[in-house]
Amino acid sequence: MAEQKVELFARRLDHGVQKAVHNNSAAGTEKRYNVLGTDYSAPDDLRRLAGQIRQHSIEYLDTYLEQAEQSLKRQGAHVHFAVTADDACRAVSDILQKAGAKKVVKSKSMISEEIHLNDHLGTMGIESVETDLGEYIIQIDGDHPSHIVKPIIHKNRRDIAKSFEREGLGDYNDDPETITRRARVFMRDKYLQADAGITGANFVSAESGRLVLVTNEGNSRFCLAAPKIHIALVGIEKVIPSDADLAVLLNLLGRSATGQQLTVYTEFINGPARTDRPSGPQEMHVIFVDNQRSEILASDCREILRCIRCGACLNVCPVYRQASGHAYRSVYPGPLGAVLSPLLAGKKFKELADLPKASSLCGACNEVCPVDIPIPDLLLKLRNRGHQEHAPSPGTPPMGAFAKLASSPMLWRFAMKSNKVMNLVPLEKLPLPYLQPWLKTRTLPTWRGGEFRSWMKSRHKK
Amino acid sequence: MSTAREQIFSSVRAALAPLPERTPRPVFSKDVAEPKWLAAETDSLALFQKRAEATGTKCFTDMDACASWLRTQAVRVVYIPAPLTHLVALCSEFCEVTSEYSRTRVNEIDAAFTPSAGAIAESGSIILSDESTPDRLAALAPWHHIALVSRAEIHRTIADALAAMPADPNLIWVTGPSKTADVEGILIQGVHGPGAQACLIL
Repeated sequence: MAEQKVELFARRLDHGVQKAVHNNSAAGTEKRYNVLGTDYSAPDDLRRLAGQIRQHSIEYLDTYLEQAEQSLKRQGAHVHFAVTADDACRAVSDILQKAGAKKVVKSKSMISEEIHLNDHLGTMGIESVETDLGEYIIQIDGDHPSHIVKPIIHKNRRDIAKSFEREGLGDYNDDPETITRRARVFMRDKYLQADAGITGANFVSAESGRLVLVTNEGNSRFCLAAPKIHIALVGIEKVIPSDADLAVLLNLLGRSATGQQLTVYTEFINGPARTDRPSGPQEMHVIFVDNQRSEILASDCREILRCIRCGACLNVCPVYRQASGHAYRSVYPGPLGAVLSPLLAGKKFKELADLPKASSLCGACNEVCPVDIPIPDLLLKLRNRGHQEHAPSPGTPPMGAFAKLASSPMLWRFAMKSNKVMNLVPLEKLPLPYLQPWLKTRTLPTWRGGEFRSWMKSRHKK
Repeated sequence: MSTAREQIFSSVRAALAPLPERTPRPVFSKDVAEPKWLAAETDSLALFQKRAEATGTKCFTDMDACASWLRTQAVRVVYIPAPLTHLVALCSEFCEVTSEYSRTRVNEIDAAFTPSAGAIAESGSIILSDESTPDRLAALAPWHHIALVSRAEIHRTIADALAAMPADPNLIWVTGPSKTADVEGILIQGVHGPGAQACLIL
């Protein structure tokens, strides 16, 4: 029987991986729930407010993006624009080549995953090292993140120990603390030798031009301490009106992502470092990347652009917990990814049109979203779009015969009565492949079709 | 002006033009995201200490206690920028003290005192800026980092701190030691930044 790709992936997933993803996600959901409950009497009101701030931001993107550009320039940053993923990659390598930079340290950024920046820099002969512990392990394994906040949720300590041994970071040792210390030592030299640091941005304040970056490990801070050039890749939708909005957004981001009141390092970057200071980049570049975002803004799914990448919807999603992130075959997994990934795919929408179907529409993703994105509604809109565009839909039974039957009263009456035959047919022998897995463990009630009509008729006669 | 810029702006404008109405900017009070327990906290210093300790930042209110702690940590080289002469004298008793943060000694200097630009009581965060903390590396690379926080510069809330952000190319709120839970969700402190974060309130 044909199956949805996500379902198929989930079925083949290693049991240990599935369990790890499930437990880690469930723990994330619980932490988020506890901290919001302890701190706020009406967290939903706060989520709705944050949603309105973000919806306002994207609906006035024309104004705020221009204002952000001016503010950044006023602070001495160079501002670039990139229409496509390729343009964005080229913009980065152009800056690096112009400066003669050969070595780069990178702080975790989803947009750099989205545009496949490391691959591009590799082909240009530029060494680019991921500095977030999880992302570094992803990089040396040639793997992909399976969660937007916890990239190696699908790996265990033994996998990591083997990778470190292979990379020459010491003998096999699977103690998480030892693994972390070895990464610390290894990264030190990388930071100090790097010519440039590449980061993303969690928010950009249009009014002040401040770029906000949050990390727990302190790696983004290191990327902005040792190297002399800072390049920030920023999706155009990351702009917010002002610093004051951060009071709402930062408070929800940390709590939703990891159950922390604030992420350990919350950094506000406002231009290149002072020339009288020994550390900090003297040159700052901000690259605003569109890569389909203006298309999404024009669509009826623009609410997805509110997303602040906390990962709460992944953690709570019953499908994500079973299937893990790689099942989504794209950079953004989970409910947010099921909406965003097909949209980002642009002309290749059909290839990912199955993702919006990998959902029971239970609504949990909307309930935990810090910016109140109506994810289930967006999934339905995309299912409809997939249908309109005739995207392949494995696992969906053909409904043509039923449609004919249901649109003719005569045929319908006949079917209702004649189906009494069903009571005599052994169910497991029915030649309906779509129903077989379902019928294996279930029985049907006795067929009583047509009885309502007979009852109505006899009632009218009286 | 680049064509990419024009292309993006024209796509964005074209996307927004058909909207019958746009979501207005919400009006909200500055304290809207304050935790419900905050109102009961009247003393900002006490609150800061409580919240900082909860996130793993050690708080000291006198130099002697702070130096005694460093002594127990087997620190070898401590960076103390002038002019904290009393502290220099205390630390010189058990380790080398340097007033220069040299790049060649990044792996040797295992403790550093740096001034801060204040703190936030609500979240127990320390605020560092380029103005107050001349070398970003000094406050980040050593295993032990002790920020010098002035009592008068403790903001009560996150919103207060946001409203009072000084013009500085780089401000950072440090809320606890550097940490990760990437490996099997197990919390490990001291990934790239300090494994032991502290502050000395003066």
